[in-house]
Amino acid sequence: MQAPLVLLVALPFIGSLVAAVLPANARNTESTVAGLVALVCAVQAALYFPEMAAGSVVYQRFDWIPSLGLDFTLRMDGFAWMFSMLVLGIGSLVVLYARYYMSPADPVPRFFSFLLAFMGSMSGVVLSGNLIQIVLFWELTSLFSFLLIGYWHHRRDARRGARMALTVTGAGGLCLLAGVLVLGHIVGSTDLEAVLAAGERVRAHALYPVALVLVLLGAFTKSAQFPFHFWLPHAMAAPTPVSAYLHSATMVKAGVFLLARLWPVLAGTDEWFWIVTLTGLATLLIGGFSAIFQNDLKGVLAYSTISHLGLITTLLGLNSPLAAVAAVFHILNHATFKASLFMAVGIVDHETGTRDIQRLSGLWRYMPITATLTMVAGAAMAGVPLLNGFISKEMFFSEAVFVTAAPWFEHLLPVVAVVAGAFSVAYSLRFTVDVFFGPDTCAALPRQPHEPPHWMRVPIELLVLVCLLVGTLPQWSVGQVLGVAATPVVGGTLPAFDLAVWHGFNVPLQMSLVAMALGVAIYLLLRRPMAVGQFVRPPLLGRFSGNTAFRRVLAQLTAASRTLLRVLGTQRLQPQVLMLMLVTLAAALTPLWLTLGAPVQWMGERPTLTFSPMFALLWTVGIGAAIGTAWQAKYHRLTALALMSVAGLTTVITFAWFSAPDLALTQLSVEAVTTVLFVLGLRWLPKRIEKPDHRRTPRALLAARARRSRDLLVALAAGAGMAVLSYAVMTRNFPQSISPFFLERAVPEGGGTNVVNVMLVDFRGFDTLGEITVLGVVALTVYALLRRFRPARESMGLPPQQREQEAGPPGFDADLVSAQAGTDIARGYLLVPAVLVRLLLPVAAVIAVYLFMRGHNLPGGGFVAGLVLSTAFIVQYIVSGTQWVEAHMNLAPPRWIATGLLTATGTGAGAFFFGYPFLTTHVAHVTLPWVGEVHVASALFYDIGVFTLVVGATLLILTALGHQAVRGRRQPVRPPAAQEGAT
Amino acid sequence: MNHLLIAPILLPLVTACLLLLVGDRKHRSQAALGGLALLANLGVAVLLLAQALGGGANAYGIYLPSNWEAPFGIVLVLDRLSALMLVVAAVVALAALVFSLARWDKAGAHFHVLFQVQVMGINGAFLTGDLFNLFVFFEVMLAASYGLLLHGSGPSRVKAGLHYVTINLVASSLFLVGASMIYGVTGTLNFADLAAKIPLIPAGDRPLLHAACAVLAVAFLAKAAMWPLNFWLVPAYAGASAPSGAVFALLTKVGVYVLLRLSTLWFSPQAGDSAGFGGAWLLWGGAATLAFGALGMLVSQRPARLAGFAVIVSSGTLLAMVGLARPEVTAGALYYLPASTFAVAAFFLIAELMDRSRQSDAQSRRAPEDEEDHLPFALADQELDEDTNLDDQEEALIGRPIPAATAQLGLAFIACTLLVAGLPPLSGFVGKVFMLSALVQGAGAVAWTLLALVVLSGLFALVALSRVGIRFFWAPVDRGAPVLRVAEFLPVALLVVLCCAYTVYAEPVMRYTRATAADLYAPGGYVQAVLDARPLPTATNAERLGLPLPPGAGGATR
Amino acid sequence: MEIVLALAIGALTTCGVWLMLRPRTYQVIMGLSLLSYGVNLFIFSMGRLAVDLEPVLVPGQPVTLAYNADPMPQALVLTAIVIGFAMTALFLVVLLAQRGFFGNDHVDGQGDDE
Repeated sequence: MQAPLVLLVALPFIGSLVAAVLPANARNTESTVAGLVALVCAVQAALYFPEMAAGSVVYQRFDWIPSLGLDFTLRMDGFAWMFSMLVLGIGSLVVLYARYYMSPADPVPRFFSFLLAFMGSMSGVVLSGNLIQIVLFWELTSLFSFLLIGYWHHRRDARRGARMALTVTGAGGLCLLAGVLVLGHIVGSTDLEAVLAAGERVRAHALYPVALVLVLLGAFTKSAQFPFHFWLPHAMAAPTPVSAYLHSATMVKAGVFLLARLWPVLAGTDEWFWIVTLTGLATLLIGGFSAIFQNDLKGVLAYSTISHLGLITTLLGLNSPLAAVAAVFHILNHATFKASLFMAVGIVDHETGTRDIQRLSGLWRYMPITATLTMVAGAAMAGVPLLNGFISKEMFFSEAVFVTAAPWFEHLLPVVAVVAGAFSVAYSLRFTVDVFFGPDTCAALPRQPHEPPHWMRVPIELLVLVCLLVGTLPQWSVGQVLGVAATPVVGGTLPAFDLAVWHGFNVPLQMSLVAMALGVAIYLLLRRPMAVGQFVRPPLLGRFSGNTAFRRVLAQLTAASRTLLRVLGTQRLQPQVLMLMLVTLAAALTPLWLTLGAPVQWMGERPTLTFSPMFALLWTVGIGAAIGTAWQAKYHRLTALALMSVAGLTTVITFAWFSAPDLALTQLSVEAVTTVLFVLGLRWLPKRIEKPDHRRTPRALLAARARRSRDLLVALAAGAGMAVLSYAVMTRNFPQSISPFFLERAVPEGGGTNVVNVMLVDFRGFDTLGEITVLGVVALTVYALLRRFRPARESMGLPPQQREQEAGPPGFDADLVSAQAGTDIARGYLLVPAVLVRLLLPVAAVIAVYLFMRGHNLPGGGFVAGLVLSTAFIVQYIVSGTQWVEAHMNLAPPRWIATGLLTATGTGAGAFFFGYPFLTTHVAHVTLPWVGEVHVASALFYDIGVFTLVVGATLLILTALGHQAVRGRRQPVRPPAAQEGAT
Repeated sequence: MNHLLIAPILLPLVTACLLLLVGDRKHRSQAALGGLALLANLGVAVLLLAQALGGGANAYGIYLPSNWEAPFGIVLVLDRLSALMLVVAAVVALAALVFSLARWDKAGAHFHVLFQVQVMGINGAFLTGDLFNLFVFFEVMLAASYGLLLHGSGPSRVKAGLHYVTINLVASSLFLVGASMIYGVTGTLNFADLAAKIPLIPAGDRPLLHAACAVLAVAFLAKAAMWPLNFWLVPAYAGASAPSGAVFALLTKVGVYVLLRLSTLWFSPQAGDSAGFGGAWLLWGGAATLAFGALGMLVSQRPARLAGFAVIVSSGTLLAMVGLARPEVTAGALYYLPASTFAVAAFFLIAELMDRSRQSDAQSRRAPEDEEDHLPFALADQELDEDTNLDDQEEALIGRPIPAATAQLGLAFIACTLLVAGLPPLSGFVGKVFMLSALVQGAGAVAWTLLALVVLSGLFALVALSRVGIRFFWAPVDRGAPVLRVAEFLPVALLVVLCCAYTVYAEPVMRYTRATAADLYAPGGYVQAVLDARPLPTATNAERLGLPLPPGAGGATR
Repeated sequence: MEIVLALAIGALTTCGVWLMLRPRTYQVIMGLSLLSYGVNLFIFSMGRLAVDLEPVLVPGQPVTLAYNADPMPQALVLTAIVIGFAMTALFLVVLLAQRGFFGNDHVDGQGDDE
């Protein structure tokens, strides 16, 4: 029976999970699991052959994202079938081989789990029925190949090769994604079936070149086409089984798979012909040529792989169905002989301990069987008659002869073909003869070579057998398979081709004879210089090293973006603020300038208030104070603070002036508290010593002046903008506003005549909740930060005033910080103020209560009241000193904060019990004895919450700062390390 | 009225108060309380999402705190968009809190309180339908974020904090200016009411209105980290403790959310002369941001800074897509948003673990955190010398086992790489495909530029992340396994698994985001739902509303 | 009258912004305070100006904007004042911490005199 297609994809992944969790030393279990998985999948795939032979296509769909036209579709036609046979069949052989290759000490779970995952992604690529899905598995193959190549991550070359492969193929994958999206846009669907059917439309579309280039970028990077071929040799750092798998049958074949897959859609145009063919030819030559000069056995194979991939690409590029068939055929052949060769190299490496051709020689004596197998496979690689490589090469040659294109190309192509053939002969000779014949140098080898365990050789034997069979009896052995596989590629109508060893003494045969002769000649010519190690790297190409190029590109990219980043960004604060200002100005001015036809009139039609000189005078003072602040802030902090509060007071008066007493009251109390805050803070802000200008160089001065004037301009622009905008709005008639509603409903529904307060506790009470939350949170943050506070060194000691007190006359010891602690001198000259402020406390409390109670109907309210009370408290701290206060009254500000917030929230939530939304105001009619009926509005409790929180928060902030004075005295500064460590 | 709607705000607030009363000394009870609260918060968010999922009449949930109808009172609105954002925020917050329980919550005072308030602020910003109330919740959010950023103190944090606070204070002033000016011109502050009034305002006032909106937008753009207003972000986020960084990944999304909400409401095609105002700014600003972030990723070496730039990349992508103002693209962006948020949050957490394990090994040549990015790439470049080793005499061909903890961390890192770089098979890829396939439909210069940018940023991210990953997990061969506490790895794994599920069930999510986008670009429903909402009748407002007084409400009178 | 207030707002903003652009933390905090004055007045001005209006409702007087001050901007300003106060306190403390850690009062913790 046949298993569903999904098994072929899912089973390897499941196996990978299983393999990952097995213990590290379970080499046999691992390989058994992996082998079984691969084998089962291979057999299952094979069972599909009858349908394929019948030319039918098998589907399996799962809904994934139908709305995106992206279902999880599996689709198997002849071509996909052939590829999945390669992937899974060779996969199972590789697993068997790896069992013996990996050392018992190797942590194999990782290896086999990655290998199986890779197998799964690869069969996912070949079986996908949707282009986006292909991209998905495509990138997965990149990822897992990365992990496999980097398996021996303790080796530098492994890390490098892995990263290079990932970067190059990953980049290609992203291009492919873009290309696929464009294709999908053209066709209207990314479903493979639809795309394959829409070939005409695609080639006619204006976006065809874009799509083509993007897709080709993906394919070329994946199958190591020039100029992206450099990653493949570096990927040889992978364990040999990985190379045997990835670089013969799977990973690098994905690229040509895609080319063949989309051949009916994209091929047939001149763009396709020239881009693909020329790239292929370049790769073919460069690969073959460099292969000759490698001293690393795997290096030879890597470059020969590159050149054979070039050959396949060329065939696909020729726009002729027959060539496409040849390409498919060569994919098959190359997979078989290259896999066996990689495994053979692995054996040599494994048994001798080296892959260096110059050290290896005369191995025939020690491993005759391996040697024979290697030489057969090598001959296939060289295209020797009676082996499979020969037949596909013949097909290539005949294509090369009968190509129809520009005349110069028609002449060039056969020559290139012959030369490439010669190269392959040359490096195959070097690969086999130099290693297995010649003098016996085994004494110098790291290990004493001998035949490998038999099972390690079985995979090679099987593959070589295939080479022979296909080479001798092509039609019988592979004819039908090839037909099945090639039909979908050429778009359904298979061209007439006959697979035979002997076509008569025709041009292609002559060409291959020439090629062989030439190849032998090259080999003999280069033998001596190579032996003495004359060529460290291939001549001519020596300059171009993909590795260095890659490195340079990355390095330069990084350097460039670093400089770019330095230009486009900054770590300093001032430029950021400046940028923010500039962007704001630009954003605000643009709509004002491009005023949709109607010019803005800056002066509205609303009648303005009569000018009052008093007010003007007031603000001349205020503005003066503001400017003074700006002037003094740098060196004379206290002055600046004083001037700033003048500006603040002017604001207060302005509020009062324009009949907003609530604002005036609040601003005033905030002013008071802020000032206290600043004064406490200044204690820890050492004086700035003014630096006279002549100390600085003229250039520095000039630069400073330039900066200042620039900033001044920006500031002026901002100020002007604000002024103009406010003026423009102030002089306009008020639009139909929501405010009258508040006035009307304040009394009947809000239950208060002070509309502002009603807004705070009722209409917009929700804002108030957030607002007090902010206050509380900031207080907590301040506290948390000050706990780790490390004062500036200069301000560690006592302030001068206190110092001279301490150094006062004998018997005169004062302790201002804790007045009480001093013997009694503090009582002495601070007695009066101390007593006074203590008296002040209850008074302040009364005032607070008064302000609080009238709040709902007259200016006042919880917030102001809270500030007043906390001010009274803080005065205690200032005059009587921290210790005394905390000894006499137990304030726990955080509790106040929590209680306040809870009260406010609870009041709001009380409405729930009446089934009303949060914060709905309620009035309870309570009748108290003797007092009679009183109205208790829920707003009252809400305001109590506000009050409590404000007291708590303000106290917490101020005392936290005040405590520093004590701490600063008591304990010396801890080193920053200790600061960090402490929690 | 559905009281569940206000729970996302009240729940964390009350929890914060309780935590404050419990006090820092009782760590265990604090942790338990905070965790439970966030769990409940997540539950509430999911319930609200389920409610919004229904669509139709109850697609919009309206809540009137203080029982005053819009536009006079403040209104909370739940629609598909806000519900989605609530869930995203809840998930990230929960993960971050669990992570912090391992060590961070003890690194300073009042961590849990600040954390809860942070959540409250974010939820409030997503729910409110009133401009000034939005300002208040922004401040709540910011105040808490200051606290969390400074949590643990230390020079680099304080410096980053100073910059962060300054920029945000300026931004808040801009917010105030813009909001009050909008009130001055239109006489209202309610989102929906504004949407209804903006088409009607006289031509003479429109420039002023636009100026106000522009100023307001700058405040949001600074929060959403649009270039050139985003230089503060990376030092601040990378400097903050890991859980804080993870939560901060949400803050930029709040900025994006507000921009999306207001631009679709106020400048919809029905908005007359104001239609489509500022779209181009968002589009190109977003593109610039995307490019900037990609470059930044390429040059950063410290994982935390990489994460910071990943935040910038994701919000750049979102801004650009929102700027296009095309429903299909927006739907894609809305799919991408949660995925990228989860990914970045997880990345912040992983970065912390990696950094720690790195500090543990002695021989690592390590620069001070700030300069590090300006050094040449030590390992990445050195090791590219020309030697190939052919003999196993040089280095044994035997793999080194990777400790289990490192392996787990490595897998999580790979997952995050895939997510952040938008590589298959995880949700980052699906989101990208969704956005890009919508993008190419309207092929044009803009579409191609964005497509190229998105693809390139993915490549840069891949390069940078693979470099860092190799450097941490492969290069140092004999490094001990990092100490991986369950509390620290669990949230990371949770986020990753969530992203996987998000990929598998992409279809329903996309249906949801499509519906959301459709709602956004047809704001009529929102406006009507808000303006038609009536308060419950009480003894005092019954006759004004012309509604009968329910018998139950007799005792409760205004 | 409006012109005076507009000028005042402009002046406060100018000084504030200029100080914000200075390199010393103390200058920046002064700038923030001035800026917040300017912004508060700006918000207030958005409700248009009026003198001699009743801040609280007086019985028997029509409740319209002609007789009573516009409560909305006032409510906004109140909230803004409170939040501004909180932020000033926070900034002051961060400033002190920075001074302690870096030994100078430059916003970047180091750097030349400007």
